[in-house]
Amino acid sequence: MEGIVLALLVCLVLACVTKYLGVPSIPFYIIAGIALGKSGLNLVSADSTSQFFTDLGLIFLLFFMGLELNPSRIIENRTQFLRSGLIDLNVNLFIGFIAAYIFGFTLTESLVVGVAFFVSSTAMTLTSLIENRKLMMHESETIVWMMVFEDLVLIIALAFLARGDSNPLFLFLKVILMFLFFAIIGKYGKGIIKGILKRDDDLPVLFTFSAVLAIAFFSQSIGVPDTLMVIAFGAALAASNATAFEVHAKPFKDVFLVIFFVFFGISVDLSGGISIIAAVVISVLALASKFISGLIIGLRIHGRIMSGIEIGVNTIGRGEFSIALATIFGSAAVSTMIAVVVITTSIIGAFLARYSDVIKAKCMEIS
Amino acid sequence: MVLRSVSLPGIGTKYELKTDKGDTIAVFFMKTGNIQVYTLPKECQAQCVAELSMSEARRLGSILTGAVMDVDQESVEIAFSALSDLRISMQTYIIPKNLVGHSLEETRIRAKTGVTIIAISRKQRNVINPPPSFLFESGDVALVIGETDQLRSFEREFIGE
Repeated sequence: MEGIVLALLVCLVLACVTKYLGVPSIPFYIIAGIALGKSGLNLVSADSTSQFFTDLGLIFLLFFMGLELNPSRIIENRTQFLRSGLIDLNVNLFIGFIAAYIFGFTLTESLVVGVAFFVSSTAMTLTSLIENRKLMMHESETIVWMMVFEDLVLIIALAFLARGDSNPLFLFLKVILMFLFFAIIGKYGKGIIKGILKRDDDLPVLFTFSAVLAIAFFSQSIGVPDTLMVIAFGAALAASNATAFEVHAKPFKDVFLVIFFVFFGISVDLSGGISIIAAVVISVLALASKFISGLIIGLRIHGRIMSGIEIGVNTIGRGEFSIALATIFGSAAVSTMIAVVVITTSIIGAFLARYSDVIKAKCMEIS
Repeated sequence: MVLRSVSLPGIGTKYELKTDKGDTIAVFFMKTGNIQVYTLPKECQAQCVAELSMSEARRLGSILTGAVMDVDQESVEIAFSALSDLRISMQTYIIPKNLVGHSLEETRIRAKTGVTIIAISRKQRNVINPPPSFLFESGDVALVIGETDQLRSFEREFIGE
């Protein structure tokens, strides 16, 4: 327990500093974790209590992701969504997969690294668009829909990772059935749910927390991974009560996710992982792959190189979802690789996104 | 004028207005509760942006609907989306000297102009729904409600503008 308190206090200081400087906090939580954990000072180690908190962090992260997945809105925007998303997927999955395979990872491990290469940090990308005041750009809509596409691919990846020995098709069928079940409850119980969530006492928060936890727990008994179950639950509620659930679940997500990031850092084992050269190569490739996919999307959809640069720099940062994948997959070497990718791309990506106007001006000069 | 609205997952709702003169204004109602307003003049690459809090946005909204904006005399026009022909204005006025010392009943404000005084702001306290026996004091600010025409008639009759 002291470990969690110490880690949280360090993160609190880091949160203050990063908010003041206007840089993303996720990479610094991971660095703090590495410094406190077995690769650093060895002050904090994971135990069953911290494990429970990090599980909650992951569950609330994915529940939130589900709340943003409104199926009807996705279908309305399918053309733009598919065009940009598929380019993004092909380029990054390919580069990440090949790089990992050359570094000696197995096929499955390389695939996980490939997907982690592909999924940008939605939180960092959207914050950067808002903070750098770029929402009006035409590219912003493309970027936002790319994030949704990445979420969908992540769900498929999670299903394959967590399926165990069951048939993936059968698993998907179960998840879809559960989604429909939740959607029916969400639709016909809308009035009751709304009534509970509207109250100003302790009931809405208690209801949100216990509903998400109960569903995560219940999923084990029907053989569906809790990660997929909470996404399905979130997505089913997206059409009816998304905003109210977001408001009440946000405090849980904010706190547990910080614990999730710092304990991910604590679990990273740098000694048995990858060499410095490999870390540098993989970071450069991770930066380059999003830049390339951004350029292609910019040219294909907006017809301009400059749009491509903008899309590229704004999607470079990898974060919460790449770490989620690493955690669920659970291989030490893959975790180290993904930790390196997240730390370098998120810090460099944040600066590139902030100074994208300068970069574009320089490119104009050169051309 | 072309207005389109889209909802952006994770961000909020975007409203984009293209004016007849070719300028573009985009408004984003963000999940953070704040509002970003972008303007992009015709044939210009660089956009300008302002981030507003909810109350600042409301204030800007009432300026754009054409209401008077003065520190002491401020007015708001309310229109309900379901009752588009019902338009009510509220305006604040500093009580002029000739009304000081008189009661609300004596002045016959409602009978003469049709407006209603719904609140009085005084240094020490505010009075909501002042009774007929209410006595005006110097420095009182009255919040008056009525149709725009009635408010103008109140101004002519009592404020002397």
